[in-house]
Amino acid sequence: MDIALRVFEDALWSGVAAAGFGMLFNVPRRWLWLCMLLGAAGHGTRRLLEFGGVSIEIGTLVGALIVGFAGYYIARRLRAPQTIFTITGAIPLVPGVYAYRAMIALLQVTTAAPEATQALLADASVNAIRTAFILAAIAIGIAFPSLWFDRQRPIV
Amino acid sequence: MKTAIEVTPKVPLSHEALRDTIDLCLWAGQLLVQYGAETQLAEETVHRLGTGLGCDWLDVFVSYNALTITASSGVEFRTKTRRVLTHPVNFGTITAVTALNERVQHGELTREQVRLALRMISDTPRTYNRWIVILFVGLACGAFSRMFEGDWPAFWLTWAAASVATFVRQEFSRRSFNLLLVTIATAFTAGTLAGVGTLMGITTTPQFALAASVLLLVPGVPLINAAEDLIKGNVVTGISRGVWGGLISLAIALGLLIAFTLLGVRGI
Repeated sequence: MDIALRVFEDALWSGVAAAGFGMLFNVPRRWLWLCMLLGAAGHGTRRLLEFGGVSIEIGTLVGALIVGFAGYYIARRLRAPQTIFTITGAIPLVPGVYAYRAMIALLQVTTAAPEATQALLADASVNAIRTAFILAAIAIGIAFPSLWFDRQRPIV
Repeated sequence: MKTAIEVTPKVPLSHEALRDTIDLCLWAGQLLVQYGAETQLAEETVHRLGTGLGCDWLDVFVSYNALTITASSGVEFRTKTRRVLTHPVNFGTITAVTALNERVQHGELTREQVRLALRMISDTPRTYNRWIVILFVGLACGAFSRMFEGDWPAFWLTWAAASVATFVRQEFSRRSFNLLLVTIATAFTAGTLAGVGTLMGITTTPQFALAASVLLLVPGVPLINAAEDLIKGNVVTGISRGVWGGLISLAIALGLLIAFTLLGVRGI
């Protein structure tokens, strides 16, 4: 029960985050709630899987796949570019904090004592690698539906 | 419907008409690349727009900061390049350009009408009032602090710091500063405000407030587009976007580092 509540709260806040960024990205007003829904579904799923012991990278992939398929379907129905829904919906999944930690560690290398340098470099690379994997998971997840369904369509 | 279009032989455009068409295509493509469309979307939309306006074929080369099109019709062909200078995200414009392209596909519009429509799209102001954006982007960052399971004071602190930072970003962007400088200034503002709140001891989870209040700057669109371009084989554009996203992240860290050093706060 406790987990259900925490996942629900997480999904709620993810929706708020997606909507806020949707406004920053100038998403048309009539579609903002859809972005909110996708953001909540994607990150809520990841949080649920995290409670189930799944790694954040795999969790991101599953969450992004949900955002991708839902965004693909919505974009088809509304005859709109799917980028609007998939990117805005994936924003809560973006590994901002990992990137932040990697950069902070990198910048500290310059001022750190020599014996601390190794630990900082390791910290920076681990966080940078996780950032890269999570980003790749997001991109695979949201690009997958169009790669799967539209492969027959003649490309430019 | 598709076959009907293919079967009907196209009337070759004159050299002048071709120039007009390629200008319209460049304009539409510039709007798409500038406002955050990934490469494949820009390429396909421009190609279909040009053929919808009467060209036989268009080859479209999209790079991160320029767009080259070769359009051919009958025996004539023309090639033109247009620069894309800035990359502010605006999905409203992308929606409008895509919708315009759909109408062209149905044969509803002439070149003159497309020109008027593009002028209107370019002149349309952003949907949301800047103060509403400030409020809600701040709220979005506050939401992130809650997602990291920070406490309520951290949420309010993040909301305040991120809102002021959004205001600073708008002011700097309006004065056309280099985007990296804008990012450093914004991150510095957010870091200082969140850091002062931390020093005042209003929250028991200061690390989440510090991290969440700069999330408004995270280059999510360039980074996601970068990865998507790479997957779809547009390697050069993907790398450009990725490098740019990395530089922005570095600028965020730099702004924060200055703020933290001045205040004597520790980051994460």
